[in-house]
Amino acid sequence: MENLKYTEILQLNKALVGTIQSKPYEIGVLSNVTVNSFEEVLEYSCRLNQIEPKVEIGNFDNIVQDSVVLKNKDLIIIFYDVLNIVDQISEFFEDLEEEKYNNLKNKLFTEIDIIFENLSNTASVIFNSFSSAYYNNNNVQVSKIETFVKELNAYLEQKKTNNVSIVNIDKLFAHIGFKQSIDYRFYHSSKAPYTFAFFKNYVAAIKTVFLRNTGKLKKAIIFDCDNTLWKGVIGEDGIEGIDMSPTSKSGKFYHLVQRIAVFLSKRGVIVGLCSKNNDQDVLDVLRNHKDMILKEEHIVIKKVNWVDKASNLRAIASELNIGIDSLVFVDDSNFEINLIKEQVPEILTIQVPTAISDYPDLILKNIYTYFNSVLNSDDAKKTELYKQQFERENSKTAFNSIEGYLASLEIQLTVVKNDKVHMQRIAQLTQKTNQFNLTTYRYTESQVDHFMADKKHEVYAMFVKDKFGDIGLTGVCIAKEDEKDPKNVILDSLLMSCRIIGRNIEFVFVSHIIKDLANKGYQTLTADYIPTKKNAQVEGFYDKVGLSLIENIDVTKKHYSLNIANFEPKKVDYIKINTELV
Amino acid sequence: MENKKIKQVMSAVFEIPVESISDDASSDNIENWDSLRHLNLILALEEEFGVSIPDEEVGNLVNFKLIELVINDILK
Repeated sequence: MENLKYTEILQLNKALVGTIQSKPYEIGVLSNVTVNSFEEVLEYSCRLNQIEPKVEIGNFDNIVQDSVVLKNKDLIIIFYDVLNIVDQISEFFEDLEEEKYNNLKNKLFTEIDIIFENLSNTASVIFNSFSSAYYNNNNVQVSKIETFVKELNAYLEQKKTNNVSIVNIDKLFAHIGFKQSIDYRFYHSSKAPYTFAFFKNYVAAIKTVFLRNTGKLKKAIIFDCDNTLWKGVIGEDGIEGIDMSPTSKSGKFYHLVQRIAVFLSKRGVIVGLCSKNNDQDVLDVLRNHKDMILKEEHIVIKKVNWVDKASNLRAIASELNIGIDSLVFVDDSNFEINLIKEQVPEILTIQVPTAISDYPDLILKNIYTYFNSVLNSDDAKKTELYKQQFERENSKTAFNSIEGYLASLEIQLTVVKNDKVHMQRIAQLTQKTNQFNLTTYRYTESQVDHFMADKKHEVYAMFVKDKFGDIGLTGVCIAKEDEKDPKNVILDSLLMSCRIIGRNIEFVFVSHIIKDLANKGYQTLTADYIPTKKNAQVEGFYDKVGLSLIENIDVTKKHYSLNIANFEPKKVDYIKINTELV
Repeated sequence: MENKKIKQVMSAVFEIPVESISDDASSDNIENWDSLRHLNLILALEEEFGVSIPDEEVGNLVNFKLIELVINDILK
């Protein structure tokens, strides 16, 4: 997108209108400057990622009021620009008396408080940091405007609620170059300071936020080997001939990429290999090459064979039980990259650049955009978990019946309720889980926080453990009292990580929740299944649990009900459940 | 040559077919030509022709003929 002209983006965006069948993702833009051309760039970027946007630009210089009007959007983006703040004072800023300076500062602090308060239940908010780059020409002293901006930014950081992401505008200016970012001609004629180049870079920078909120982040990165993890071709150059040395001229860039891969595997990203080679050759490099820092222990899945890569990547997605669009594939070959683009366009491909010194940076840029950069301790454990899953898969064959196998796993569940310690992980699961997810409602941390505090909501979280290890928090259910009928409870959300599916855990979890809701005095329960492209596997789930399907009035969902007194939980006696219910 | 390119840019920015843009096209007879789109038109013209339109001309380019005149003048 970076190299496209404005008219090209207009045309490409227009061509995509109406091609994405999903509920619109509603974005509100609040600003005290004119943000022309932003709308089209934002829309185009959403559509490229299979998100159908509905963008509403608030009134000019009306941020505080619009933070009330637009608070129900999925995403609010705020441009609160220092240029137009300073323009409204009648003196030269450096000459501002202390009293006036403090008045202005306090006015802004109050506005920030009100904005954050108004948007406290909005799913996601992006606030740009304040910048003094417009005025900063005193290079040997700190100017008044710089101090002012520093105070505002410190206040932002201090007051931001956990649904707010702050975009560091100065970093963007530095990256693009200030002169390329700001056009004073348009600022003075129409209060429109930002250039088109700025908006393209800005949208690229915030993309990770709307990908995260719509569950479109990636889960696995799969590397080719020759000329991707090392320089050279193992089958021709031999183990002595390939290069990934941290001290050699071009080997060091491969070394840097390997460092990133090792880091990712520690952070819960699935790292895999897909290469046309003899398996033994690659194994030999992994085990015996002195410069190879990416080891077998970091690699969850490996397809080293002579099968075409499209089939291999499809097999990888299915074995890992993740969507094909959760994969990123890195390869040096034009042929392979084009094959994947053609055959499996859902996979994001990264081609090793010909200017090899750009390679590590290109990988990093994609990592920051497409992988959840939240450093979550549970994510760090995942690599180990995926490996355990393979051991489980392997031991499956040794048992004659699936029940016998499941019993041998010694599965233990722990269910907690409204436990704020796990708020972040719960919100993350609602945002990332696509397959075992009955309604696919996405919630932010602050929304989960709100549910936990509210008496009419119950937030259940389930931890799973078996003899192979601790799998962690992998199931969530949110129940809410029916506003129209306080004896009825609605299962608003029910989701489980795909790592634990296929072991009847879901039935034990749901039975437990129903029992707990019965204890709270509810007599009936209703629940919906809302189909998406990815959750077909749970289409008949509520039927299996024993809920009754209500006559299909609405074709977009299936509506179920249950008289709790008649509920008969499915017997799964090999799963133990511990409760810490309050 | 420039004539055709200008109309193509106008067509993209104002979201109207290129055939509907006559030599008399102006902000008075093109409904979508508001102040915001005017900025985007200047942006698109600058990109298309690789030029920078001077400050004082930005507000003046309110019809096709004036745009043609100014662009040709800069390109000379």
